[in-house]
Amino acid sequence: MAENQKQNYLTHPKGIMSWLLTLDHKRIGLMYLFGGIIFFFLGGVLALGMRLELAAPGNDFMSNETYNNVYTLHGAIMIFLFIIPAIPGALGNMLLPLMLGAKDVAFPRLNLASFYIYTLGALFVVYTIIAGGVDTGWTFYTPYSTTSTSNVIPMTMGIFIIGFSSILTGLNFIATIHKMRIPGLTWYKLPLFVWALYGTSLVQITATPVIAITMVLLILERLLGIGIFDPALGGDPVLYQHFFWFYSHPAVYIMILPAFGIISEIIPVHSRKKIWGYKFIAFSTLSIAFIGFLVWGHHMFTSGQSVFSQIVFSFITYFVGIPTGVKIFSWILTMYKGQVSFTPPMLYALSFLFLFTIGGLTGIFLGAVALDIHLHDTYFVVAHFHYVMQGGTIIAFLGGLHHWWPKTMGAMYNQTVASICCLGVFLGFNGTFFPQFLLGLRGMPRRYATYDPQYAELHNYSSFWSGILGLSIFIAIMNLLWSLRKSNKLDPGTNPWGAMTLEWTHTSSPPHPHNFEEEPVLEHGPYDYDKVIVEPTFKK
Amino acid sequence: MSEHHITPLKTYLVIAGALFCLTAITVWVSYFDFGSLNIIIAMGVATFKATLVALFFMHLLWDDKKNLTMFIMSLMFLGIFITITLLDTGFRGGVNPEVEYPINKRAAFYDSLPLTDTHGNPVDEHGTDSHEGDEDHH
Amino acid sequence: MSHDNSSPDFLQHHFHDVDQQYETAKLGMWAFILTEVLTFGGLFVAYVVYRSWYPEMFVGANLLLDVNKGLLNTIVLITSSLTMVLAVWAIQQKKQKLSLFMLIATFLFAFMFLGIKYLEYSHKFEVGQLPGEYYSYMGPEIAHLNNPHIFFSIYFIMTGLHGLHVAIGMGLIAWLIYATAKGNLHSKYYTPMEMIGIFWHLVDLIWIYLFPLFYLI
Repeated sequence: MAENQKQNYLTHPKGIMSWLLTLDHKRIGLMYLFGGIIFFFLGGVLALGMRLELAAPGNDFMSNETYNNVYTLHGAIMIFLFIIPAIPGALGNMLLPLMLGAKDVAFPRLNLASFYIYTLGALFVVYTIIAGGVDTGWTFYTPYSTTSTSNVIPMTMGIFIIGFSSILTGLNFIATIHKMRIPGLTWYKLPLFVWALYGTSLVQITATPVIAITMVLLILERLLGIGIFDPALGGDPVLYQHFFWFYSHPAVYIMILPAFGIISEIIPVHSRKKIWGYKFIAFSTLSIAFIGFLVWGHHMFTSGQSVFSQIVFSFITYFVGIPTGVKIFSWILTMYKGQVSFTPPMLYALSFLFLFTIGGLTGIFLGAVALDIHLHDTYFVVAHFHYVMQGGTIIAFLGGLHHWWPKTMGAMYNQTVASICCLGVFLGFNGTFFPQFLLGLRGMPRRYATYDPQYAELHNYSSFWSGILGLSIFIAIMNLLWSLRKSNKLDPGTNPWGAMTLEWTHTSSPPHPHNFEEEPVLEHGPYDYDKVIVEPTFKK
Repeated sequence: MSEHHITPLKTYLVIAGALFCLTAITVWVSYFDFGSLNIIIAMGVATFKATLVALFFMHLLWDDKKNLTMFIMSLMFLGIFITITLLDTGFRGGVNPEVEYPINKRAAFYDSLPLTDTHGNPVDEHGTDSHEGDEDHH
Repeated sequence: MSHDNSSPDFLQHHFHDVDQQYETAKLGMWAFILTEVLTFGGLFVAYVVYRSWYPEMFVGANLLLDVNKGLLNTIVLITSSLTMVLAVWAIQQKKQKLSLFMLIATFLFAFMFLGIKYLEYSHKFEVGQLPGEYYSYMGPEIAHLNNPHIFFSIYFIMTGLHGLHVAIGMGLIAWLIYATAKGNLHSKYYTPMEMIGIFWHLVDLIWIYLFPLFYLI
């Protein structure tokens, strides 16, 4: 054991260049995590700034122009720089080859390139912020985005570049999942997180090219007036929305599918029970990925698209509910009669179930054309979106981070603090966003810095709880970082949750630089709690 | 890699020959006007050519079928993109005929453009008549 | 080459054997081709939508393009596709010299394609058939039609993006020429050549659609 402790990917090889030029998927995953957390923090500060402004009706703290910049940057940073790359880039990179028993992803150099492309795109976004921001909203709708004097071009350029990073990650993962599995690891023996990453990667490579070309067209529209999106030149601004949402609706599934995968891992492990409906969960992932391509027009019900397509989009939208429901029920049935232990990852997973279900059900409201015409661009949409993206993806991300932290860092955080933070996140989140459903139903439009005094009370609640939410997430992450102090190393054989996927059973914590000392031999499926007993071990 | 399929030289030459012939056919056909069939014929020939390139030059015929699936998938998603977008753009006039086409039928900057000859040089307003409908002439 | 138990120097450490490495590269390449198809796909959607809104203008504007140059370019590109595939064929047969010759031919055809494209573009620039607000051509064939600048926007963006791919392809082929001449690529390991070949055929394949869409119908 003592020898193993010397050989792990964190300490071997040494030197800053060995990190910056590493081809090791685990190190690249950590660098993605680092980048993602920085932008998560930045986006979070912007969000709290907005809530501060909205605590009272007037322009107490920001001008309208500043507010426009702040919500645009909050949206763009959170979506393009944090949520989309965070789970596949950080946790996916870290875990995928380990779960497959492989030494690395299929194309390690592309993997590193993908990280640096992400960094380059992020630099464009940072430049946009320094140069004075952008005020179009993260959707960059034309015609305003072709006439706005703010920094639309650097921002869209940044998104264009980050798109390539996303494509390369997706491409890499697809090749990895198809070709890098150890012998005997057939499709139905894969952990469900791998299925989720597979679905995500398919969406990444099919949808992302379209946002790239959309951004190019938008930039050209500004530079040359090509007349494709500009109505004054014979173009059609609604066509821009088609282009944008052909990517951005599937992108919602790029954000949520990996979260589903994390939940599918956490729940059976912490319930000590075989997952219920493995194939249902696996195939519902693929069907969500596919149906996600057919429903983009439900973002455009008030845009002036044809009535015919409104009906079609509304109809197909409801189909998304089916595979999603299948997943939710499968997770609940997995817990049924299991030995559920309320560890921090499990608490996050339970929060996810609750919050995501609210997010999903309110999505059903918004899918109905008639109701959407009332609710479009109100706080109801804001709340729905945050219940899915934050209550879903970010909570799952935090859960996954807590679940795999001992594996990747070889250290255990303070579990009591982590559980309290999870509770804080749950309460703070509901306190922040539930009032926004009510605000939206009462007609409060999104994207305004000021509002009618009748909305003041609910806004005030929302702002108060957003402080709790922000603080809880901050402490949760500090708690994780605090566990990294020197005196807190775990024994390399630690498997604190008694999980039975390959990354827990066949390699040390933190893993060996080449993942496994020898190629693992598959002894059981990923969730065979009914057949094999894997005891939780937790030693300092 | 000795096990890789090696295509006989003759196959490549035949396929290239077919591609040249089909190019000639599509150009030749374009000199006749079949009305709305023009597009269908041109796209049909192009698709046939593209299939030849994909199956033989890109080796999809002999490859692992995963690769073919990937390629077909790309076309399927492109099909989805085109079809569903057309469901909007093709049916906008259903309720309100005014919105059937983009709002500005003719962009404003054309009003200030002088008429030109075929070399792009401005001409006198009365010099050339702007109503010549000789569309079959190449 | 599953029968070969030695590990050749072109085998990367994380693969079991040469076959796995080759198959993985190919699947990755096809995933990349998928992204390329959808990148151009966005532009095809723009083409289809605007053609359905401005049918007469599209028919009128395509008559302004030079069919002969387009046809010549089609022939050049198909020929280059043939020489590319023959380069791969030759290296499979251990004909290094022939392969090198075919690669050089491919490179020259690609250069020729861009040369012809340059002549076409410069003529368009001269007469003012330019994208977007820079459009100024009001010749007798087109003056009565609405918004031909949109046709030329789509034309320049699509052929421009295609031309960019040709230029990138030339860079890649240049590298192949270097690697083949140095002997880094041989009958046992020619994966990069085959992958770049697939890319090059895609460039050809897209032109197969662009040619009729812009020049013929």
